[in-house]
Amino acid sequence: MDDTPKLPPSDEELVKMTLQDKSFFGDLVDRYESKLKRYIARLGVKNPDDQLDVLQEIFLKTYKNLNGFDTSLRFSSWIYRIAHNEAVSWYRKRNVRPEGHLIADSEDIIQWLSTKEDSAEVLFDKTVNAEKVGEALAEIDDKYRQVLILRFFEHKEYEEISDILKIPVGSVGTLIHRGKKSLAGVLNKDAVRI
Amino acid sequence: MNSDNETLRKKLLEQIDDQAINPKPKVVFRCRECAVWSLWLLSVVVGGMAVAVSLFVIIHHQYDFYEATHENLLTALVDSLPYLWIIIFGLMVLVAIYNIRHTKKGYRYPVWFVLSSSIVLSFALGSSLQYFGLGHTVDKILGQNMAMYMSQEKLESRLWQVPSEGRMIGRQIFTTVSPTSTIVFQDYRGVRWTIDVSELKSEELDLLLEQEKVKLIGRPTDPTLRNFHACGVFPWMMDKPMKLSELSAEREEFVDRMLEHAEAGRKLVAMKETREQTASSSRKKICYQIAPVKKMPTEG
Repeated sequence: MDDTPKLPPSDEELVKMTLQDKSFFGDLVDRYESKLKRYIARLGVKNPDDQLDVLQEIFLKTYKNLNGFDTSLRFSSWIYRIAHNEAVSWYRKRNVRPEGHLIADSEDIIQWLSTKEDSAEVLFDKTVNAEKVGEALAEIDDKYRQVLILRFFEHKEYEEISDILKIPVGSVGTLIHRGKKSLAGVLNKDAVRI
Repeated sequence: MNSDNETLRKKLLEQIDDQAINPKPKVVFRCRECAVWSLWLLSVVVGGMAVAVSLFVIIHHQYDFYEATHENLLTALVDSLPYLWIIIFGLMVLVAIYNIRHTKKGYRYPVWFVLSSSIVLSFALGSSLQYFGLGHTVDKILGQNMAMYMSQEKLESRLWQVPSEGRMIGRQIFTTVSPTSTIVFQDYRGVRWTIDVSELKSEELDLLLEQEKVKLIGRPTDPTLRNFHACGVFPWMMDKPMKLSELSAEREEFVDRMLEHAEAGRKLVAMKETREQTASSSRKKICYQIAPVKKMPTEG
């Protein structure tokens, strides 16, 4: 008898299993519900009812398009892309801008600000006013906010961000660099010590 | 697992069951990908054709006779540039970029890479097509079948069938009773002219004798009586794709002829000054006065 513990199936395996038996789709929902809920909240979908609607739409789209999943991508990148598109189209439909509600992510923010990445132009004090950073994030251009959220709050690699936002990897670096400068500009304008 | 999670999982699976939702078949995605790549290929091919026709137009040296047809080289270039094809080429490059960006992994390539590769590919294809004479063929077919399309042949005809400005296209019909220095020439519009060929060289007379379509440079001496004094005859080159060497030779021939007339004019003036001229020589020599001869650079 083989005593080695059986590893749970990978996302990609679950996709294949779902295409055979749709009940496995529930496992994918379990894996991604909370992650995507947090992600769309960061993108501006804050109301719990709206979050549920958007999540439902994300998973339904995922299910309908399972055969279009490119196995050379990571499943997480693919589902994040769907989530990103749904969140963006949700707030576009309502013609609203996302508001800064990242207070709960202060740990993420502290971690982000302590990274050396792209730090030449932006020097942060670690005494972080997370609320202000959240508000400042909501003020900067969408394209910068989206990469900053993916990089520093969702902890995605450049290549994953490239796959999620469908932009070249080189552009990811540029956007992060400019996004941090832009964010620093907003924070300095408000004379907030972060 | 929290209750929300249970709710969402359950709700979604129920919805999938109730509404009989199924994943879209693979073929849908394959067809979409195929359509995107096909559109890309089409845009590159059309872009290549645009390059082929543009190259044909540029290589054809419409501006080679600019001293005869235009004020200067710049106006000749402005008049002969293939704007339509340049616009089509630009549009096709944009379509190619759009399509590449919408393939599964097209977004991974930077815009400059997609842009330059589309341009390079279209140029490579266009150059190959032009090499095999497709630029000329496409231009000719479009010109014959689309009234609105200004093919090189139409443009050249428009430029050259202006007798009042000393340019005509047509062919010799017959010579007048020998010995004579006139021929009967039928122009592009079917009008018959009596042409004084006294200042033409024997090669030019031979060219006329072939009764092929030619371009004539000169001056109308009596437009009412349809009298025209010829100063140069050049072959009509729109019937087949021409080689660069042939086009260059045509330009050289034109410049040489105009310079010869200029030289003859200088000699005539010198003879007038020394009163050596005969009545007949001064009466017949008028080519040195036509506009293209005056535009030729003078020696020294």
